[in-house]
Amino acid sequence: MFKRFFGNIWSAAIAVALAALVCGVVLALAIGAAALLGYPPIRLADLWLRGAAGSWYALSSSCADACPLLLTGLAAGVAFRAGVLNIGAQGQFLLGALTAVALTTRMMIFHQPALVIPTALLGGAVAGGLWGLVAQYLERYRSVPVVLSTILLNFVALYLAQAALQGPLQALGTAAAQSPEIAGKYWLPLFVPYTDFHIGIILALVLAVLLWVVQQRSIFGFEARVVGLNPGTARAMKMPVTARQFQIMFISGACAGLGGAIQLLGQVHFMTAHMGNYGYAGIAVALLGRLNPLGIIISSLFFGFLDTGAYRVEESSLALPHNMANVIKALIILVMLVLAGLSLRKSRRADRRVTAPAQESAP
Amino acid sequence: MTASHNMITFLSRQALTAATPMILAGVGELVGELSGVINIGIEGTMLMGCIAAYTVTGVSNHGTVGLLAAIAAGMVMAMIFAAACVWGRADQIVAGTAMDLLGVGLSGMVWMMYQNWRENLGFSTALPHGSGFSRVPIPLLHQIAFLGPVFFDQYALCYITLCLCVVVWWVLRHTRLGLIIGALGDAPEACHAAGVRVRMGRSLCLLFAGACSGAAGAYLSIMQTHAFATNMTGGQGFVVLALVIFGRWKLPGIIGGCLFFGLINSLQQTLQTARYTSQNTALHALTHVPFQFFQMLPYLAAIVALAIMSRKAPGPRYINVPWPEVKT
Amino acid sequence: MPGAASRSLLIGPGTDDDQSCSTESIIYAGLHRLTSAVPRGWGAWMTTAHPALGLTGICKSFGGVCALDDVTLEVQAGTVHGILGENGAGKTTLMNIIAGLMRPDSGRMEIMGVPISTGSVRAARSHGIGMVHQHFKLVENQSVLENIVLAAGKSLLPRRPRKLLQDIDSWCRKLNWPLELDAPVGTLAVGRQQRVEIIKALCGGGKILILDEPTAALTPAEVDELAAAVASLARAGMTVLFISHKLLEARRICQSISILRRGKVVYSGSIADLSVEEIAEKMVGVKMDVPRLTPSARPTQGPPMLELVDVDYRIGKRRPPVLKQINLTVRPYEILGIAGVDGNGQSELAALISGAVNPTAGRIVRRSGGNASVPIRVGYIPEDRHKEALVLPLAVTSNLLLRQYRQSPFARWGFCRYGTWRKHSTDLVRQYDIRCRRIEDAAATLSGGNQQKIVLARELSQQPELILAVNPTRGLDISATAFVLRQLLEARARGAGIILIHGDLDELLSISDRVAVINSGALTATAWPQATPVEIGRLMLGGA
Repeated sequence: MFKRFFGNIWSAAIAVALAALVCGVVLALAIGAAALLGYPPIRLADLWLRGAAGSWYALSSSCADACPLLLTGLAAGVAFRAGVLNIGAQGQFLLGALTAVALTTRMMIFHQPALVIPTALLGGAVAGGLWGLVAQYLERYRSVPVVLSTILLNFVALYLAQAALQGPLQALGTAAAQSPEIAGKYWLPLFVPYTDFHIGIILALVLAVLLWVVQQRSIFGFEARVVGLNPGTARAMKMPVTARQFQIMFISGACAGLGGAIQLLGQVHFMTAHMGNYGYAGIAVALLGRLNPLGIIISSLFFGFLDTGAYRVEESSLALPHNMANVIKALIILVMLVLAGLSLRKSRRADRRVTAPAQESAP
Repeated sequence: MTASHNMITFLSRQALTAATPMILAGVGELVGELSGVINIGIEGTMLMGCIAAYTVTGVSNHGTVGLLAAIAAGMVMAMIFAAACVWGRADQIVAGTAMDLLGVGLSGMVWMMYQNWRENLGFSTALPHGSGFSRVPIPLLHQIAFLGPVFFDQYALCYITLCLCVVVWWVLRHTRLGLIIGALGDAPEACHAAGVRVRMGRSLCLLFAGACSGAAGAYLSIMQTHAFATNMTGGQGFVVLALVIFGRWKLPGIIGGCLFFGLINSLQQTLQTARYTSQNTALHALTHVPFQFFQMLPYLAAIVALAIMSRKAPGPRYINVPWPEVKT
Repeated sequence: MPGAASRSLLIGPGTDDDQSCSTESIIYAGLHRLTSAVPRGWGAWMTTAHPALGLTGICKSFGGVCALDDVTLEVQAGTVHGILGENGAGKTTLMNIIAGLMRPDSGRMEIMGVPISTGSVRAARSHGIGMVHQHFKLVENQSVLENIVLAAGKSLLPRRPRKLLQDIDSWCRKLNWPLELDAPVGTLAVGRQQRVEIIKALCGGGKILILDEPTAALTPAEVDELAAAVASLARAGMTVLFISHKLLEARRICQSISILRRGKVVYSGSIADLSVEEIAEKMVGVKMDVPRLTPSARPTQGPPMLELVDVDYRIGKRRPPVLKQINLTVRPYEILGIAGVDGNGQSELAALISGAVNPTAGRIVRRSGGNASVPIRVGYIPEDRHKEALVLPLAVTSNLLLRQYRQSPFARWGFCRYGTWRKHSTDLVRQYDIRCRRIEDAAATLSGGNQQKIVLARELSQQPELILAVNPTRGLDISATAFVLRQLLEARARGAGIILIHGDLDELLSISDRVAVINSGALTATAWPQATPVEIGRLMLGGA
């Protein structure tokens, strides 16, 4: 018992160390590249770190930025682990935010934040989940690959949001696609005053832990895992494959939708169609966290710090574009994928060593 | 010539103009997918093509140099992708989204740095006059009624694209190379047994696809618009992916799909402008629909097309299966 | 080739039934005539100077496991040389090295005395080496000609090179095999596909032909034809390397053999010098204790537990039915064997019986103890354990519990109780002798035999009344095969009804109480165990 527990901790520690190493190397390379382009590396790193964690406020805004990343990361992680390739977190995120803003602006007449805020969050989650189900429906009954339909649905969601923001939800006195600002009392309350620490962050953390428990310990999690790894076996074992896939897709979409709603009520307070690339970045977060909810917490924090720091650097006199952060994320995903792919192959090779060479195994 | 006839000619010409980058990227993606690698990141590759063509043209003052730079940029992206997916056994779909993110990030970054740099030097960031491409009407032929303006009054790259389509079609259909490409995605072990290096073959196919996507990006930035904007491809790369499935991995089908989307696109743009200019009452009724719905149309149409078509359309069997295969 | 020797070991392990012996020797007699027509030593004088193929000190290891250890052998031109060995002895690895598909870690290779570079298919091909793999390397949706051009074409451009067409034509004529060049390969029967593979290997050179387990997928009649073709090739001066783990075949077809055991050549020389028992001993290393399978201990009794009545099954509405008018019954205490050439509807039949699909017409009745309303416990050992029975990346424990994970001691309130999982699987691992380091290891880290034991343990431990096993020993070595068959017999002794759909006729006949033959979707006959392999082989091909 004792040994097994520490065995797991040990392998988890190796995984974390490896991920940290990859991130470190990519970061170092990025700073090196910036140095080659003529940006002073020390000052750059200094600005970046200060911007991300130099003060309580900086720390809180990093965490607030990590919060939607955590949720979209969970969306991707939960889905990928069950073999549902949901790349549509971006669209689900937008629709979640859109639903939240619609519900809040329409329910303001009740003057009841305690009623409005939960409804808006719930509504956002449900909207994201339903949007995900569309893709799963197309896959199951129309054989459209989820990967493609979710990507295309992202664009549909984007224009849907724009149409709404320039139509019924448009703020008065503006021509832009933009919603009115939500009144302060409907914002998510802060748990540390004068910072960006809003309770949405706690909500997201609780959700992550909850999902971890479900994934690791419950029958549902076990079935989802089997369905994801080998649907043929799952079917032969009479598992409800289709139902699990739909449920997972709903949970995944709901996570992303909730992320949109929380981002809206907790952080930006009015909606435009450009709420950041949280959906796509979520994929990177999930991969870096090795699809494990607890790992995703860490990786989303890392990305939050990366992003916030990048924006501060862009605002500073160095004016290094914040898109640098996106490049770094992309490189980290690629490296992590390659490591995963190669380690799979290597572990198979090692297996031959473990078992007696009784099998004809043509490599 | 009546007004409506004019309108149809104009729309058809615009359709081909708008379809060209999709056809170009689609041809490349087709070759890549036939060899067993799906690249979701063509969008990012196209963006890199856009920015490379735009900045290099701006600096060098020659559109051709810009085009070559775009092709090179596309090939570099393809090399990264091939290194990750073909040699590094990364999952193609997730790596593709990473390539997309990379393209978006890198192009945005280069664009901002380019702007800062040009402004510091006191130059405009617009393309130098005359360095971008304009339409090249082919002498005599472009005067033929309807066909002339539609097919022979296009950008140079459009003609090249059409020739490329014929060449690729011929190669896939009538040469041993075509057999090899098909077998790479359908039975890589057969290629391996025949002495074809599977990973090298796939990498070369990807390189070709990258060059095509890069050129498609250049078409967008230095031919069709003479401008760069972040995310200017607007999802065309993803539509191309859908179209390859829609066309059932056959070149004519893909080109047909691209032309159809080009038509929808040009219609959408015409309708957007019609909101302000048209006197035509039928068109005017449509202007009450929010224009975002027209923007949405290509994507919706792609989904609907997939929903109708993708049954019974088995693609190459070994898409997203790295070579050498490991049983899981 | 003395007939007496071949008599004694006929159907391999398990059956030394006198009746089948005699019929076996009939088919083999025909072959004997063919092979004995080749004068012994004829190849030897042709190349007194150099052997057709010479290997010196070939070593190859995969991740620390030595697959080939200092292999040295010579093959004379114009002979059929057998490479014998158990599964995993390194036969295929050695052949892949000769064909240039793999580069050895060390060692040299010579053809007709000319050293050639290893690890290059093109170099091997240009020296006339062609290989037919056990699992054909064909592109199913390309035509026969396209497949040959793909493999044997030299330039990238032409799709119908004239020289190659002539080459194909001449080989087809020599072997008297008409090939439909424009037919898609996927539509051809296995035997035809093998011909395509052989022609493909011969084109563009054709001095040394490697056949890797060529008889595995063939019916007895097709084996005869292949043997005739091989003999005629050898007569024409070609060298054929014939890989097999079946001794009888080797004796019929080869003139000399090399025996591999655990990557080492333990014998190389004439086949006539060794008795079959000696060969078997050299292959396995020790005298194998082949399990004796006893005939039914208790008579079949009780009402049928499974009945298929006039069952039709079709996949598309417009397609012809895959299964036609199937009628069969299984009773307790019996094993019903279903023989047939692969791809005649076996997998569909398995899917129907396991309940994965429903019949288009007819009915399937499953009764538990004669009561149709009580659901019957079915154990299913599918053909492809990787796709239908195991989740390779998951732990052995999880795989052992894939059927029972939601039942009472293993789960409570929607959560898994891993303690009970561990206890249960530790028991099963011990009981079924599953060799793994820890039960938390991924199933992928186990050997094929042990993976199959996981499936057996899971399916049989819940005491199923009806067992459906499809090719349960495919890809397993001798001891694992024996284990699997023994477990099936034990289940029968407990009173289970077993349907065994199996491609290996010898094994099937050795443990079945009754045998039915499936041919193009119809059960052509229910033969009793007295039927000989020859008769069953004829039925498998659709003969009356």
